[in-house]
Amino acid sequence: MSATVLPPSGAVASARLESFSYDDDIVRKFLWATFIWGLVGMLVGLWIALQLANPIFNTSLEWLSFGRLRPLHTNAVIFAFAGNAFFCGAYYSTQRLLKARMFSDFLSRFHFWGWQAIIVAAAITLPLGFTQAKEYAELEWPIDIAIAVVWVGFAINFVGTMLRRRERHLYVALWFYIASIVTVAILHIFNNLSMPAGLFKSYSIYAGVQDAFMQWWYGHNAVAFFLTTPFLGLMYYFMPKAADGPVFSYKLSILHFWSLVFLYIWAGPHHLHYTALPEWASTVGMLFSVMLWAPSWGGMINGLLTLRGAWHKVADDPILKFFVLAITAYGMSTFEGPLLSIKSVNSLAHYTDWIIAHVHTGALGWNGFLTFGMVYWLLPRLFQTPVYSKRLMELHFWIASFGILLYVVAIYSAGVTQGLMWRAFDATGRLAYPDFVETVVRLLPMYWLRVAGGSMYIIGMLLFGWNIFMTWRRRPATYVVPVITAPALEKRYVPEVVTTPRPVGVWARFAAAGWHRTWERMPITFTVLTVLAVVVASLFEILPTFLIKSNVPTIASVKPYTPLELAGRDMYIAEGCFNCHSQMIRPFRHETERFGEYSKPGESVYEHPFLWGSRRIGPDLARIGGKYPHLWHVRHFNEPTSITARSIMPAYPHFLTKTIDFEEIQSRVDAMAMLGVPYGDAVNRAPQMAREQATEIAAEIERQGGPSDLADKQIVAMVAYMQRLGMDIKAIPTTVGVRP
Amino acid sequence: MADQTNESGGEGPRLLEHEYDGIREYDNPMPGWWLLTFAGTVIFSVIYLFNVGPVGNGKGRIADYEAEMATAAALQPATPSRPAAAALLAMASDEEAVEEGEEVYQSYCASCHGPDGGGLIGPNLADANWIHGGSPDSVYNTIAVGVLAKGMPPWEKSLTPKQMSEVTAYVLSLRGTSPTNPKPPEGEPYTP
Repeated sequence: MSATVLPPSGAVASARLESFSYDDDIVRKFLWATFIWGLVGMLVGLWIALQLANPIFNTSLEWLSFGRLRPLHTNAVIFAFAGNAFFCGAYYSTQRLLKARMFSDFLSRFHFWGWQAIIVAAAITLPLGFTQAKEYAELEWPIDIAIAVVWVGFAINFVGTMLRRRERHLYVALWFYIASIVTVAILHIFNNLSMPAGLFKSYSIYAGVQDAFMQWWYGHNAVAFFLTTPFLGLMYYFMPKAADGPVFSYKLSILHFWSLVFLYIWAGPHHLHYTALPEWASTVGMLFSVMLWAPSWGGMINGLLTLRGAWHKVADDPILKFFVLAITAYGMSTFEGPLLSIKSVNSLAHYTDWIIAHVHTGALGWNGFLTFGMVYWLLPRLFQTPVYSKRLMELHFWIASFGILLYVVAIYSAGVTQGLMWRAFDATGRLAYPDFVETVVRLLPMYWLRVAGGSMYIIGMLLFGWNIFMTWRRRPATYVVPVITAPALEKRYVPEVVTTPRPVGVWARFAAAGWHRTWERMPITFTVLTVLAVVVASLFEILPTFLIKSNVPTIASVKPYTPLELAGRDMYIAEGCFNCHSQMIRPFRHETERFGEYSKPGESVYEHPFLWGSRRIGPDLARIGGKYPHLWHVRHFNEPTSITARSIMPAYPHFLTKTIDFEEIQSRVDAMAMLGVPYGDAVNRAPQMAREQATEIAAEIERQGGPSDLADKQIVAMVAYMQRLGMDIKAIPTTVGVRP
Repeated sequence: MADQTNESGGEGPRLLEHEYDGIREYDNPMPGWWLLTFAGTVIFSVIYLFNVGPVGNGKGRIADYEAEMATAAALQPATPSRPAAAALLAMASDEEAVEEGEEVYQSYCASCHGPDGGGLIGPNLADANWIHGGSPDSVYNTIAVGVLAKGMPPWEKSLTPKQMSEVTAYVLSLRGTSPTNPKPPEGEPYTP
């Protein structure tokens, strides 16, 4: 670390020298949080992987079933592990790239402790079943507000630091940090707008098609601006540092940054191909994803080619090994992303484990390995002592690499296998695997391999933790805090001495990127331009989605849920059923043969939030209503294997013993009514209406030979909801019916 | 693209003047193949958007679905042939067929009709009473098209005609057996 920085050549000699120090304590805090939450998130991942391999791991505790823990896994890994890793690296590099201490030590600590408190709140509320049912945006509204406040604190701290900088220009890593910070704020706020119906319950203000659009605008860009751009920023700092060489191409940085930021925002609808989303949106989502291929690879090229002439270093530097594998994984998953967005490919991959494999290539490879490399590079600098063991680093690298390979190969095969089984017809025109559970049990060997692969990755994580701990133990009694001296930034910019001849011609001058150089010394302008790129791109899709009426043709027979059905739907949300069951039948023969008529946009108009799902570990439920008698559902929820012997669904015996809070249903109905759902009379007498319907259903269950004491039990609400699903359009002729 | 790997002396890539915390950047041009890939995806997207030739949405997803269904319907016989009652009766005394039928029964039917046919969610199959007819072809028909109103699925979507015949044979063979927990008789008595 250089303690003194000389004024750049050409700077005014009278520049005032300033002394300051960097805040590395905050970096150490985030480093510990990265490891601890990473381990927690991965252990939860291992646990839910075991639940899929054998449902016995769902235990008899309702808080630990797959549907409740899966969001905990995704949130912990994305926001706790990757989030803290980003903050760790960003706080370290930003101060150095700007030659300034963070703007406010208070805001830094507010950010750290606030973020950890949010994670703890998530770890408590998700198993309790408090969820908004939107992927990666499950946390309920009070926590959402806390996230927004903490994030704004981070943003103020970051911008404040930029304004107090002593380095005239912003380096490319900072561009990526800026894009991440502003875009995550926009995405988070607009996707989470909801109507509270109690302290830990709310309904999305959007419904059906629009909610689906907003969710995947958010969901895809959570991947983009939480897992991609922040880590590209980290890569641009830590890769050249570790490789001790210059970045391959400044021009490539400029083009791939702006194209990535502008194009990524459009890509969300590729998560909704062949659903009730309007086809134009689906097409736009696909094309912008295809166009994202090159911009994404721009980052990979700049990362890998930074090693030009330094490849020999990779052999004996485990840090570079981690970086090389991270960037390779990034390259693979950003090639696969555009591929998966192509409609025909997506028709096979959607709802299967292929997507799970894809995200794990990204998360375990790109985010995980970049974090490991970065932390190993930081350890001696933060704890001011050599890393405890380089051999452990090597071992970590190899064991985790092999773990990823085992994981993704198994889960790619699971995805393709299931996708092909779903669409297979036999020679007589009958579904080759009509029994859904057949297509699930076929995957179980692959699920065990995933458990093995994931365990290896976690063993690597333990080695990582041991190395961090032992290095920390050898730290000096007090850390040396170097005093840095650098000239303050002059109020007015004095142009650098240009040693190269000025390019001739308009194109050559444009290509020389002097205009971009200007932007780089104007942090606020740069931030505003980034916001503009993101907002303009978003509005191109959002405005038509909300304004064009013909996107969602109304269906007169579609009515709001009754109060009891709504209570059942809230249970469906709380249990996280949408994590395994879709409610969206695509217009394919194999889907309509299996599940019934394909889903129409007009069927979802009262769906706050939409529950279309993204993965089918169990069958689609969009038309489950009326398919089985009430008693079938009662027995099935109580013990799924009593109906389907090989089912891997968790059992929900507590539905039969816990009572419905009828009075609470009123507040739920009122919140829905405030969102414009035409509830009519129900806004005055929801509990009474619910009781009446519950009594009817309970009587029918008893008549069918079931238990007799269910009229106030939760199972009745759940049965009411199940039996309603897909019934509203039954007037439209379907392919299923009794032959005359 | 010229070789620019040479770092020390001679023809090398030009390093830009600026430096951030010791990090420097080359002024390398963007790789040609990368620019071509980018341009290629943009051109592809424009062609796709305008639905040119085989590239694009074609007639759209709903039209494609309807075509897929029409093709499949054209290949299917209008009414699937039904096995004769006599053939089903004969199978009911064919041990092998009944055994095959029992296997299918245990995986698909037992959850509602009980492992021994005594009835559970669905009616008792071992007594003399039938809600939808007890003749061999009525039983087969009920299995094939189901009774949607009562939650009996149409099994012809899942089972082959052979499997349905075997299950019918097994169900017929249950008549007169004594299940452990029989559901009370429902429907009309049927005498073969």
